[in-house]
Amino acid sequence: MTAVIENLDPLLRALGTTVLILVISAAGSLVLGVLITVARVSPIPVLRGAAWAYVQVFVNVPLLALLLLAVFALPDAGLLMPLTTTVIVVLTVYEAAYVAEAVRSGINTVASGQVEAARALGLRLSQTLRHVVVPQAVRAVVQPLGNVMIALLMNTALAATVGVVELTSAVNKVNLVAAQPIPIFTAAGLTYMALALAIGLAAGRIEKKVAIHR
Amino acid sequence: MSDIRLPRRRFPLITAVLATASVAVAGCGSSDSSSDAVPNGGGDDAAASGLEAVYEDAPVADDAAILPDSTMAEIKERGVLRVAAALDAPLLSQQDPSSPEDVEGFDIDLAKMLAIYILGEPNIEIVPPASETREALLQNGTVDAVFNTYTITEERAEQIDFAGPYFTSGLAVATRADNEDIDSVEDLNGKDVIVGANTPAVTAVPEVAPDAEVTSFATDPQAVQALLQGRGDAYVQDYTLLLAAAANNPDIKIAVQPFTEEPYGIGLPPEDAEYKEFVNDWLEQIQEDGSWSEIWEATLGTVVEGDAPTPPEIGSVPGS
Repeated sequence: MTAVIENLDPLLRALGTTVLILVISAAGSLVLGVLITVARVSPIPVLRGAAWAYVQVFVNVPLLALLLLAVFALPDAGLLMPLTTTVIVVLTVYEAAYVAEAVRSGINTVASGQVEAARALGLRLSQTLRHVVVPQAVRAVVQPLGNVMIALLMNTALAATVGVVELTSAVNKVNLVAAQPIPIFTAAGLTYMALALAIGLAAGRIEKKVAIHR
Repeated sequence: MSDIRLPRRRFPLITAVLATASVAVAGCGSSDSSSDAVPNGGGDDAAASGLEAVYEDAPVADDAAILPDSTMAEIKERGVLRVAAALDAPLLSQQDPSSPEDVEGFDIDLAKMLAIYILGEPNIEIVPPASETREALLQNGTVDAVFNTYTITEERAEQIDFAGPYFTSGLAVATRADNEDIDSVEDLNGKDVIVGANTPAVTAVPEVAPDAEVTSFATDPQAVQALLQGRGDAYVQDYTLLLAAAANNPDIKIAVQPFTEEPYGIGLPPEDAEYKEFVNDWLEQIQEDGSWSEIWEATLGTVVEGDAPTPPEIGSVPGS
């Protein structure tokens, strides 16, 4: 445990990087995920097809493979982004597929009669989605979205394999010198657990707050 | 964790007899020039066929050396030596992608020699990859030995025992071939430097060049790729690994010769003096009978110029 305390400064900075990656990717994937779901339920066949294909690709390709491709194959195609940026982009597009699936299950909870009523009242498609369908759909899946965000937090650890100094990478470095893997990785595990619990509790609170009382 | 079980390899006597016979025939039928060629030819065959001749003549421990109720006796009873070793370190411990059961290199060949010393045959079970948790694997008895370019340090020696050192290497600096800016480690200041995660370079680079921006990649091929793509100006890694990378890739050169000394030890379970002494005895034997040098030449020697180095003195490093 002394090894952790002695290296608290670099470890906290690395934890900051983990939280930074988490927050930006979470915001990005929530927005992108909702847009994909909207495309998926839209009446335009091209959009529906594209959204379906997007979800299939990102749900079925391992994140590590995507990360390695983005870090090592994109530069060969002429696109060299900083490592942290690359990781944030990859996590955003990857988790967006899961967000999209969660939101889609929420959309299925909105009765089709509501859409018909909205159209009958003269709302356009975009208005129907914005004011009627999406707000109710997202409210129904707050807890599942919280779980997707927890998965996102765990997935940030993969950034260590491509050179980003986040929490996992930093504890590896501390362990390299201190050679105390069990206390060091336990401490890291507890930190991830605390963050995940915070996300879970926040999701629970938000769910209660935005619940629709019918 | 997936274990890879190596098949028992037998080197039937008949092959040896045939080889001897053919050598004898060649020697009889020709003039003195070919009788010079015979020992050389034999040596090349051994290198090409994965050191089989070295294994054939490998020392085997006397029954008296395998003390009752010792770790050695336990390994002998089990019939397999469990080793923590990498599968992706070229020349040191590299798995053959087309036949995953073949793992070759300096570290793994030594591990097989130790297996022969205890068991009489090169029967090892590899537990990969182990670099973050090598101490834990030894402490909880998952493996019997670590052959994994395991630098002997005093911090680590508090947790586990080290036999050896069995090899001394050092960190060197590689750059892209067209880079003329880096001639010494001081030149790394202010540059982007790539290192391998969990290698000694992670701590060594900030010591010699405090202003270097260090980025670590999980594996050696990734780091080489990152260097070629311009994610860093230099790659600091073990000299032999860099030599192998430079040999395979004309766009990479060694810019700075080794600037540290890394004594590699064989990680052993803690507080087992008998076992440590036994392994050190074995190491001394293979150093004296020349098989250490032959293994070096067949592996690391293929990229390093000159003869095999003198092996480091056993116990010469703090922590060993």
